Amino acid sequence: MNKQLFEKSNKVERYTLFIDFLAIAAYITLFLVLFKMLLLPDVIDGSMDLDNLQFMEPTYQFLGRTLYKEGINTIISLTIAFMLIGIPMFFINLKKVKNRTIYEVDSYVAGSKFFQGIINLLSFNPISCGLRIYNMFILVKFVKGYNAKEFFKSIWPAVKAYFKKLFTKKAKESTGGLDEYSVSIKKSIRRQSVTTVLRMLFTYIFLVFMAFIIIIPFYWMIITSLKDFSGATSATPEFFINISRMNWVNYKVVLTELNFGLYIRNTVIVALFSTAGTVLTTVLAAYAFARIEFRGRELLFSILIMTMMIPGELYIITNFITVSKNGFGWVGMPSGENNYFVAMIIPFVTSISYIFFLRQSFKQVPESLYKAARVDGCSDFKFLMRIMVPIASPTIFTITILNVFSSWNAYIWPRIITGVGGQEGQAYWLISNALRDTAFVLDNGRVMYNLQIAASTLVTVPLLIVFFMFRKYIMNGIGRSGTKG
Amino acid sequence: MANLQNKIKEFFGKILNVIKTFFWNVRRFFINIKKRIGDFLDKHNINFVSNFPNWAKALLYLSPALIVLAVFTFWPIINAFALVVYENYNMTTETVTGYTIFGNFITVLTDESFIVPASHTGSSAVINTLIIVFISVPISVLLALFISAALNSIKPLKSFFQTIYFLPYVTNTIAIGLVFAYMFRTDGGLVNQFLSLFGVNVDGLSWVESGAVYWRSMFVLIFYSIWSTLAFKIMVFLSSIQSIDKQYYQAAAIDATSRNRIFTKITIPLISPMIFYILVTSVIGAFKIYNSIVALFGVSGAPAGVDYNLQSIVMYIYQFIDGSNAGNLSVAAAGSLILFAIILVLTLVQMQVSKKRVHY
Repeated sequence: MNKQLFEKSNKVERYTLFIDFLAIAAYITLFLVLFKMLLLPDVIDGSMDLDNLQFMEPTYQFLGRTLYKEGINTIISLTIAFMLIGIPMFFINLKKVKNRTIYEVDSYVAGSKFFQGIINLLSFNPISCGLRIYNMFILVKFVKGYNAKEFFKSIWPAVKAYFKKLFTKKAKESTGGLDEYSVSIKKSIRRQSVTTVLRMLFTYIFLVFMAFIIIIPFYWMIITSLKDFSGATSATPEFFINISRMNWVNYKVVLTELNFGLYIRNTVIVALFSTAGTVLTTVLAAYAFARIEFRGRELLFSILIMTMMIPGELYIITNFITVSKNGFGWVGMPSGENNYFVAMIIPFVTSISYIFFLRQSFKQVPESLYKAARVDGCSDFKFLMRIMVPIASPTIFTITILNVFSSWNAYIWPRIITGVGGQEGQAYWLISNALRDTAFVLDNGRVMYNLQIAASTLVTVPLLIVFFMFRKYIMNGIGRSGTKG
Repeated sequence: MANLQNKIKEFFGKILNVIKTFFWNVRRFFINIKKRIGDFLDKHNINFVSNFPNWAKALLYLSPALIVLAVFTFWPIINAFALVVYENYNMTTETVTGYTIFGNFITVLTDESFIVPASHTGSSAVINTLIIVFISVPISVLLALFISAALNSIKPLKSFFQTIYFLPYVTNTIAIGLVFAYMFRTDGGLVNQFLSLFGVNVDGLSWVESGAVYWRSMFVLIFYSIWSTLAFKIMVFLSSIQSIDKQYYQAAAIDATSRNRIFTKITIPLISPMIFYILVTSVIGAFKIYNSIVALFGVSGAPAGVDYNLQSIVMYIYQFIDGSNAGNLSVAAAGSLILFAIILVLTLVQMQVSKKRVHY
């Protein structure tokens, strides 16, 4: 174990990550600049002339060159592809460089450095590529002790040896001239292995088929959102589109002209505040149910559990009366006096199912820890903040994410609340009701399917990004909450 | 030179020390005062901080959640029973014309779009909901069972498939519903394109647009509801299959038990409580179906230009809040109480069965 080489490799890796970070920043700025440059159709009589969207032939001046529609679409597609590859790669490497120990390094790590370097080269980042390949040579020296020259020499014999091994193995199997009994055993083993292979094949075909059904709506959504109008409504839709014909302008139209920027902002506000409230109230309540002993605790808790059975529609009827004119007066008032955000947030700042879920994980903290803390003069609140919350932080994090998801997907309550306000309420739409209630129909009766699907993509993609970032927490949380039931 | 540097360092160190000691003294002073007050109160037995009763502490911790729950959860339950007895309740003026016990329930139950369909509509909310429940739940539970068993039996690519199957759980129902409606379009929809590969005449074969036959649009709805609910079931089944003790399988392997037999005699019985739990929760979920219908067919709950309606029980209730019959909240309360009764019965059945927890 040559510690110096390992440290050198880590140092090079850190430099590479810095360069990667600069490259990602460059991609993002390039994307934003180009996206901002995209030209929209002219405004006629107060509304955008969306009919003209696909027939426009705009020209752009970028870095002293004239770009056409195809050129700018290609560049934007490429920057997005680079971001999609580069950002996850960056974070995975960052995690690895923090946690890697000297014992985990083997020749596979060196190989993966090489492939990552190739990917860097493909995404116009030659500096990272060079550093990664240099790092690969360091790692090769670290693992095998070869110089660069020795390494190149050693490749061909290794490949030859690999193929030789492959063929000799086959030859050995075919020559099995033993007595009858062992031949019959060999036959039955072969029969068994054939059935195993067949079963595995069928399992994989089944899984791939189902995965295909799951994935196709997402694929179709993304492809359609990038088509132009005639592509989205043609009788023979295309399955693949060329990157030069990806109409990124669709997203700009949806964000600006169709106001989805505003709706996304509304949804983020509602999601943030209701999630903050939910986490605060559920942590306190779950602590009370898990640790503090008081009379009627079990009774109160079982009452709460029982209300979980009651369908949400029953609440919505009365809550609508509660928040409107004859109750708190948050909605249904004359225009200008309404408080749509309050009406959308306050009813959802607590959740019985999360209290239940969090109580389970609070209960797993041993009672003796609490007793010891009390003996040392720790107050209840301090114990909750210093010990309970850190221990149960994965659960709290899961609750946070699930609550953000559910406010992102809320449909019926925001619809009822903003529906009362008419024109004024429309400025407070959340994305789900905006998606359903925005008319994607032009004056001449054409349905802008590509814009509608682009709006759907805008709503779906943030969820997917959050999911891929915190996959472990979300999937574990779902599995556990189901098991505890 | 070095001497000067040392002197400057010493000087600043002294100043820092003075500041530090000052703050420590202040802190000690306050702690002392706190302690003395505490001692004094303890001596005279009036210290309410250390004698703080548990119920008061609990109330302090529970109050944020309980206040919100009281206003937005407990009050609606009580108020629902009040609303149900009003006759012609008007929300804006808060007036009623009279009181009735079963009147609103009778209005709901005899409504021609609730249980018994009128001759011109062909379908009702309860019939639609029951069709969705009895077709989508068994199919999705069986499918989830097979997929999770298949996932459990493979090793490479397992987490990859797991991630893909989980995707529908994290999506917006409305957004993907719009995509499904787009995929099932009549002209140039992906599904019709796919069918035409097999020589099916797709000319005018509409699924969710005008002219769609009842069963075709119902098929799309059921397909979408299965698609979107599969993820949760697979997740739960997979985690319960993985928690089965490996010894059962080793014993079966020694006895050379066939695969099917292992599946039906070991896996299924051991996760039977979970299957039952999922069955009940998904039946309840299917009874409450709403967003998928709205996403696919709009707020009217039917394709354009057809004489039937695909609305569910929940959709029937919501039409009294905002929709064609907006305003008559008493009828909506009656409808939601009927839905509650159905869910209550199902939950009680689940509790009874899961109490026994019979595996074999």
